[in-house]
Amino acid sequence: MRRPGALRTGGLLLGKDLRMLIRSPGLLLALLAYPLLVSLLVAAALQESDRRPTIALVNLDTTGRTVEVAGERRSVADYIARIAEETEVRALGPEEAARALDDGRVSAVLTIPEGFVSDLQSGLRSPEVGLTTARRSPIEAQALTRTLESAVFAFNRDLAEGYVDQVVALVDLVVNGGTIGAFGRSGEALGLIRSRELVLELQADLRARGDTATAEALQPLVAFIDTTRANLDLAAPAAEAIRSPIELAVTESGDGREPLTAFGVAAALLISLGLAGLLLGAAGLASERDDDVLARLVRGPVRAWALVAEKVVFGAVIAGALGGVLLGALMLGAGLAPGRFGWWAAALLAAGLAVAALGVLAGALARDTRSALLVALMGGVPLLALAVVPAGGLAGVAAGLTPFGPALDLFQGLLVDPALDTGRLGADLLRLAAMAVVLGALATVATARAARR
Amino acid sequence: MRALAGVDLDLREGEALALLGPNGAGKTTLLELLAGVAPCPEGVITPPGGGRRAIGWVPQRPAVYPRLTARENLALFARLEGAPAGRVDDLLRSADLAGFADRPAAALSTGILQRLNLAVALAGDPAVLLLDEPTATISPDQRLAMWHWIEGLRERGMGLLFSTQSVREAAEHADRTLVLVGGRAVFAGTVPALVAEHGRPDDRGDLGDAAFLRLVGSAGSVNPR
Repeated sequence: MRRPGALRTGGLLLGKDLRMLIRSPGLLLALLAYPLLVSLLVAAALQESDRRPTIALVNLDTTGRTVEVAGERRSVADYIARIAEETEVRALGPEEAARALDDGRVSAVLTIPEGFVSDLQSGLRSPEVGLTTARRSPIEAQALTRTLESAVFAFNRDLAEGYVDQVVALVDLVVNGGTIGAFGRSGEALGLIRSRELVLELQADLRARGDTATAEALQPLVAFIDTTRANLDLAAPAAEAIRSPIELAVTESGDGREPLTAFGVAAALLISLGLAGLLLGAAGLASERDDDVLARLVRGPVRAWALVAEKVVFGAVIAGALGGVLLGALMLGAGLAPGRFGWWAAALLAAGLAVAALGVLAGALARDTRSALLVALMGGVPLLALAVVPAGGLAGVAAGLTPFGPALDLFQGLLVDPALDTGRLGADLLRLAAMAVVLGALATVATARAARR
Repeated sequence: MRALAGVDLDLREGEALALLGPNGAGKTTLLELLAGVAPCPEGVITPPGGGRRAIGWVPQRPAVYPRLTARENLALFARLEGAPAGRVDDLLRSADLAGFADRPAAALSTGILQRLNLAVALAGDPAVLLLDEPTATISPDQRLAMWHWIEGLRERGMGLLFSTQSVREAAEHADRTLVLVGGRAVFAGTVPALVAEHGRPDDRGDLGDAAFLRLVGSAGSVNPR
């Protein structure tokens, strides 16, 4: 008889665990309903306060000037209107805005500086709007900052498209000619193509009259027109590169008041996946001790690392699937656009593996299933809280050292960031994978010890 | 803390060796050590040709999955051991478990469960079987059936090492007996030799029990700790 390889062994144990889970409706219900219930409660609580954050707007650009971009006039009012799509905006003076922020009447102060429109018009530098937040609620601050970043991004995109259209139209006018308007009058612009034709006609006429010298003297003008056209052909793609006319500077790492839908979804997802992975990992391994088969397995057909790997995969598969279902439901409920499925699958799997590995470690250290669940909950819930309520200093570092910190970053990045930062997302995935390996190695040592009597 | 000291034993093919001793004598520790479940900081264990896999282990408490049926438990362990497809049916038949094959282990009586426990240990077709008080908690009729099955295994050449607190079981089912007291081997031989060595002419009742109790009493001060 030849024992099967680690993969086949893991598959056999995985099938056994799934079968036993299905046959334990009480345990299944508790393991799945508890994280779902908690995450839905958290989502509901966050959604409740997700009713458009109120921000104070201090507008120091009171000139009323406008800037014309691609035939459309834009002013500070347009920018404010864009911000107001996501937030309640109250126009206040600088001192009153500061007081409102202090006493909690507004979540943040957005300051539009003097010369905002002039800077926008000049195109020489990007005007900078300032966001000042309070330190009362880190959760809300993070969400509000993301909202305003999103609003600035959308406004930038509109402006950039306008600029690009304008530049392309100008290039077309210079090359092909057309009607041009200025100071209320309009006239015909010649264009490089027509100019070249006129010069060539003039040269032919001069040569016909025997004035070859003058015709030759016009040849550099033809060459100039050709060179200019060739260069202008590059202008259109160069114009496409214009992207961010406005920058948002956050002056205080702090807070706003209102968490947004996406943050609520990310937090609910983390709590649900985190608790399910932890509890399944812990219960999966500890139950082998309860059933007295741990020693029988590890002394014989199953290596400790293979058993740990199987429990980690078991917890990750169930928790990841649960997270996927919850994510779909929350996305539909919150009206978020679905997409990025490949990234989501990788994120749920990586987070599930790391969290389940932490659970398996708890299961290997505890004496029985009840103790393991207690250890997992007592250790896991504070760590989850650290991740969901971002804080600086030691607490922030601690959250980053657990799977929950990078998992939340990953979920938020996928839900909120308008453009995927693949480098950052990849780094988060690698961190989670590395944590799964390290925690799995620790769990293997603990399991080997537990199997020995 | 030293749980065992000065224990030296060997087991031949088809031989049955009984570990006899009172509670706390070190019988379970010795079996777990031989099975590779407990660490062995000193001493040498030479398993039969196939290595540790050639040793089947039957713990005192049934080590099976209560939510799986008898068949599913056997199938899982047989597949983990790489046993051929027909192994499960063979085990169900030889353990007389066919009538209980589709019941969850949690629903089986103690005696049937212990038979399943033993059948699981046989999934890998071991050369030697270690049994930790296999009949301690089962009814007399189940005990009889269990020993009948175990004797059959021995007749097919399997080496048996079992622990017991019953001198009668040692006399009936073992070729030799090793008596442990306080983690130390205080007697090695047959039960008749034990009676001859430690019995008295005025002993009444079960002569084996009387000799054993006298030996334990005299060796009580021996403790390797």
